[in-house]
Amino acid sequence: MTDDDNISRRYRELPREEPPRHLDDAIRAAARRAVHTRPAPLVVPTGRQRWYFPLAAAAIIVLAVAVTMHVEREQPGEEIVSAQGTPAEEVKAEKPQSAPQPERRKAESADSRQLRAPPPELQKAPEPAAAPAPPPPVAAQDAMRAQESAPGALAGSAKTAPKASSAPPAARAESARAPAAPQANAQLGRADEGRRADSLSAFALQSPEQWLQGIADLRRQGRHEEADKSLAEFRKRYPDYRISKEVLEQLEKR
Amino acid sequence: MESPDEELMLAYGGGDAGAFDTLYARHRGGLFRFVLRAVKDRGVAEELFQEVWVRVIESRSRYAPKARFTTWLYTIAHNLLVDHWRRKGLSLVSLDGEDAASESANPARQAEGRQALARLLQALEQLPPAQREAFLLHQEGGLSVAEIAVVTGAGEEAAKSRLRYAMGKLKTAVDDN
Repeated sequence: MTDDDNISRRYRELPREEPPRHLDDAIRAAARRAVHTRPAPLVVPTGRQRWYFPLAAAAIIVLAVAVTMHVEREQPGEEIVSAQGTPAEEVKAEKPQSAPQPERRKAESADSRQLRAPPPELQKAPEPAAAPAPPPPVAAQDAMRAQESAPGALAGSAKTAPKASSAPPAARAESARAPAAPQANAQLGRADEGRRADSLSAFALQSPEQWLQGIADLRRQGRHEEADKSLAEFRKRYPDYRISKEVLEQLEKR
Repeated sequence: MESPDEELMLAYGGGDAGAFDTLYARHRGGLFRFVLRAVKDRGVAEELFQEVWVRVIESRSRYAPKARFTTWLYTIAHNLLVDHWRRKGLSLVSLDGEDAASESANPARQAEGRQALARLLQALEQLPPAQREAFLLHQEGGLSVAEIAVVTGAGEEAAKSRLRYAMGKLKTAVDDN
């Protein structure tokens, strides 16, 4: 037997003190209590968590779709507001009429902006303005397309007239109007009684701004009946077009 | 076949209160004597003993059997003893190489020293705390030198040295008879 074993044996012969019974009972009771009152879990149970993610994802998708639709509905109005105050538009409107080719290009580039408010000059001054022409109604658009297919139609000279005459009626009307579009007001001013019946259809081929200006001119010339009819026609053709308050006063006052 | 301590502790962590009873029955005596002979005051020993088991109960859900349950249990006890001695202004390490304040001057004890067991007990009480703790961990907890090193946070060589010195002093006390 080694010395270490001898010491161990002697040590085990020492009195074997033990904890008192009441201490044993207290510790065991504490252990049982702890088991029956388990601490709250640090993580939410998985079963409940499983519902949170799909629900949150669905809510996000619905919200995103709703916001997108709302923005799409609101966009045209915002565009009108922004277009009204654009100085670039005013500059374009003040360009001389002697350059029909750039005017034509501007009109083509405005395809996507049919509903455009009239430029400030139109609201203030009765002078004809070569405002950038938003695309005319469907019939006029067809005419423009037909015109584009005829290369000489854009020249605006007398030489192009025969070529235009070979196009469909709407295209003919457009080709007749296109060179004279900036001068629509002047045309209306010298129109005789025989042409009054055609004035509405002539307006219909113009841009909304030009149409409204024509109505204002009619009003100034005292041709209220024609102005009323033309305005009614305009509203029928462009139900969504927002006419500014100032222009509306010019159109409705007698 | 008896379940290992680690399985019992895991079972208790899973809600089996009976597993704790078994575990407690296995270790209550050794742990109590370890604490009692370390602090030499029954009241303090009972308080520390209870505190050790409270820590075990509180740690049941976090327990992971990385080492023997006994090593973990006596580590808790060791840490509580260190706190206790620190509160009393004593340190285990500082007394490592020296004899503790001796009670050998007690005449009553010397009179009883005729008996080997009494001398052994007296010698045990005279051991420096670190050596005494190493000896008690070995005897009451059944820990190896490596496990004593883990419990006390000392190096394995230091633990081995403490145990060897303790054994040598106790042998001398017993052989004096």
